[in-house]
Amino acid sequence: MSTEAHGDSHFLQHHYDTPAQQFNAAKLGMWLFLAQELLFFGGLFVAYGVFRSWYPQAWVVGSHLLDYRMGALNTAVLLLSSFTAVMAVRSAQTGNQKATGNFLLATIALAGVFMVVKYFEYAHKFEVGFLPGSHFAPHGVGLAEIVEAARESGVNGVPYHLRTFFGLYFVMTGVHGLHVLIGMFVMGWMWNRNRKGEFSTRYSTPVEMTALYWHLVDIIWIFLFPLLYLID
Amino acid sequence: MTTEPLASHSPSSPDDGEVHHHVASARRHVIVLLALLGFTALTVGAYTINLGEWNLVAAVVISTLKAALVVWFFMELKDDVAFNRLVFLGAVIFIGLFMAYTMNDTRHRNRVDAYNGARVDPRSGEFAGGTAAGIVAQGGELGPLPVIAAESDGEAAHE
Amino acid sequence: MTVEAEAEAAIPADPHHIPEGADYITHEHGLKSWLTTVDHKRIGVMYLISILLAFFAGGVFALILRTELLTPGKTIMEADTYNEMFTLHGAIMVFLFIIPSIPAALGNFFLPIMIGAKDVAFPKLNLASLYIYWIGAIFTLIAIVAGHIDTGWTFYTPYSMRGDNSAVWMTIGVFILGFSSILTGLNFIATVHKMRSPGMHWRRLPLFIWGIYATAVIQVLATPVLAITLLLLATEKIVGIGIFDPALGGDPVLFQHFFWFYSHPAVYIMILPGMAIVSEVIACFSRRKVFGYMFIAMSSVALALLGFLVWGHHMFVSGQSEYATMVFSALTFLVAIPSGVKIFNWLATLYQGSISLESPMLYSLAFIALFTIGGLTGLFLGTLSTDIHLHDTYFVVAHFHYVMVGGTVFGFLSGLHYWWPKITGRLYDERWARVAFVLVFIGFNVTFFSQFILGSRGMPRRYYSYLDQFQPLHMTSSGGAYIIGVGFVVMAIMFAKSLKSGAKAGRNPWGSAGYEWPHPHNFAEQPVFTRGPYDYHLATERELFTGTDEEWDAHMAKKGEA
Ligand SMILES: [Cu+2]
Repeated sequence: MSTEAHGDSHFLQHHYDTPAQQFNAAKLGMWLFLAQELLFFGGLFVAYGVFRSWYPQAWVVGSHLLDYRMGALNTAVLLLSSFTAVMAVRSAQTGNQKATGNFLLATIALAGVFMVVKYFEYAHKFEVGFLPGSHFAPHGVGLAEIVEAARESGVNGVPYHLRTFFGLYFVMTGVHGLHVLIGMFVMGWMWNRNRKGEFSTRYSTPVEMTALYWHLVDIIWIFLFPLLYLID
Repeated sequence: MTTEPLASHSPSSPDDGEVHHHVASARRHVIVLLALLGFTALTVGAYTINLGEWNLVAAVVISTLKAALVVWFFMELKDDVAFNRLVFLGAVIFIGLFMAYTMNDTRHRNRVDAYNGARVDPRSGEFAGGTAAGIVAQGGELGPLPVIAAESDGEAAHE
Repeated sequence: MTVEAEAEAAIPADPHHIPEGADYITHEHGLKSWLTTVDHKRIGVMYLISILLAFFAGGVFALILRTELLTPGKTIMEADTYNEMFTLHGAIMVFLFIIPSIPAALGNFFLPIMIGAKDVAFPKLNLASLYIYWIGAIFTLIAIVAGHIDTGWTFYTPYSMRGDNSAVWMTIGVFILGFSSILTGLNFIATVHKMRSPGMHWRRLPLFIWGIYATAVIQVLATPVLAITLLLLATEKIVGIGIFDPALGGDPVLFQHFFWFYSHPAVYIMILPGMAIVSEVIACFSRRKVFGYMFIAMSSVALALLGFLVWGHHMFVSGQSEYATMVFSALTFLVAIPSGVKIFNWLATLYQGSISLESPMLYSLAFIALFTIGGLTGLFLGTLSTDIHLHDTYFVVAHFHYVMVGGTVFGFLSGLHYWWPKITGRLYDERWARVAFVLVFIGFNVTFFSQFILGSRGMPRRYYSYLDQFQPLHMTSSGGAYIIGVGFVVMAIMFAKSLKSGAKAGRNPWGSAGYEWPHPHNFAEQPVFTRGPYDYHLATERELFTGTDEEWDAHMAKKGEA
């Protein structure tokens, strides 16, 4: 073996001096990436704020048309997946290759559960015509649901701007869901790299960065859940 | 007593160019997870009791706390360098700025001149949607409730 | 893996290793070596070629537009074609040329060198962002071919909701270009923070780097909002989600908020790098330490942050709330402070300097004059009462061309002339460079100063036809545009001749104390910086020597004899 200080650091890219420098740069880069992700979602939250303040009745009735139990279930699932992600990082940092792989798989599985629940929610809305904007055309059970939701929220009529609510609902959850899918894909990639033994106590940066991304996806959902599902 | 230290390295690690992780205990992660789940239960609980205007405030405050837990412990901003914290904080501040300034417009339109920008065509008197004056001109934003046949489980109303 | 193999793998191949006698251009050959390179210099050069092509395309559109405007009514094209032309001119110039121009091309080339790094923090990401730029450009091309975008580069709703879907192609193109910009910015911030060589502390950072750094902050924080805006716009157009379309209860003015939350800060993405180059060039051609170094550096950061607070000044007549309007107007005036700080510090740097007026310096001095006019007329537009009169007139067109062309493009040209010998290894013909400068400078002022007059007399922007009384000024403006065109042709020939048969440049043809000069391309080994980039009194004779290496040897031999 090489006796040089970092001679066995095959993971160290040529333009860095030390593993610490490489790690710190990667981490800063990741936080900057997360900052831009935040601003990206921030735009959606601004649109949400504007229309919620304009169309409060549509927002109340709209949120009663969503199943808050499904939302709560998905929140718990994502929080749990954040926990498994952080445990994957911990396992990688302590050099436990097997546990790293298993925790990554668990995270992917939980993300899968989230998407399945999401699928059922979407499927129902498509079925009863709770579609965004110009496609909003409730029929069948949907009409009964609207009557029920209006009664529950004390609104005497059908808010015209339910279509705007569902427009934003689909865009916000859709963009978030896309991020979940991307996260699943990246974690699958990390699982494969871990399986090949690319990570060690000295180098687990990619797992850590993936987990950071995953936590951000979780944070977005932490806000989406009460803002969409829980409006009184 | 915990046998595992909360962080295996002090911040003043030797400057040997190696990466020194603050490996947190599994116990801490479990505690954070339980807190997050607890807060979620609290949010749902707050929803089922009617707090009126305060429901939104409660939802946002609890969500912010949850997000803070994730950021501080799971994402380990707790042990991170100051600049990474600044990056995160900066992004949040700029979202706040974006929202505050935009809503300073959308919530205060047509205060000085009620017709400014509200009409699509001054001759026909048609109002633009999306402005407060426009909504009022259209007779409010509510349409009639649909008439549902008695005992319908949805089949009857199907087109 | 055997121990030997492991040891073998332990020594990573250095893709930047350039053998003796070769340089970054010649050490590898073939298209593939360029397309797969992670060398920041080669990536910078590929960006440079790409943005120059975009600039050429945008410039051709500009000349066509000015030709159409020679006479009221139809001159060479129909009104619809004219509308498409000015949209393409704006969109190409803004998204494909100006925004990536200085940071992605010159910044990529010089950022690592000036801080003593081997490369940017994430070289592969750097190459990826170039590819993303190309993909975005392809979508923009599809939009041009597929046809019919006449919304202007701002894509305002509800107009952009109408018509066919070719606007969607353009939207996707710009969306993708935005990601290229974000990744470049992210890369640069990480590079400045983590890749500096020993001795390169923040108070020694060249002002070019400070400018690029402040730009990168905007790129990371503002561009994602453009991305979500365009995503919502495309979704609105295809699905009709009811966010921007008033017919569905959406708010077209909200689109303007979204768009300008990005696009006002984007003005600083465009101008800060120009200012950054001017700071370098002024110091070099005055042979002086920059006056008020920290003030120039911090004013860049201040501009980057203040730029986020003023976007509503584009919306004074949009039906925006009067309260928002007043706040945005008041804040707009704050922006003048850091801009003024820069101007005064540059002037103070010139004071008692030993000034030489070579072509890079000419462009930089022109920058100061033109940017001052552009900036001050911006205050007219930030004032509520005058903006009501001037909004959407040629006054606005003249204002932002003074900032973007007189500012950014002149800054870019200054940098291109200044660093040309470093990038290509060759000198250019200074006389023809000055001829080109005079043509571009005069042409520019003739073109756009007449537009200030046109606008203040009420000529609306984006109009195909106009009243007869405006024709003399429109013709003057078009004449100026042709002079600019001739100037650029002269410049192109001058640079082409330099590439083909220019004299070999020495390491430091301008005798600058900047860090990027005294070494061939990157530093051979990690440097330790012991002086500032403008410390002419501390630079060695070798560092400031303007001739070639052979001439230096001859010079030393002569000295030895004496
Ligand atoms: Cu502006």
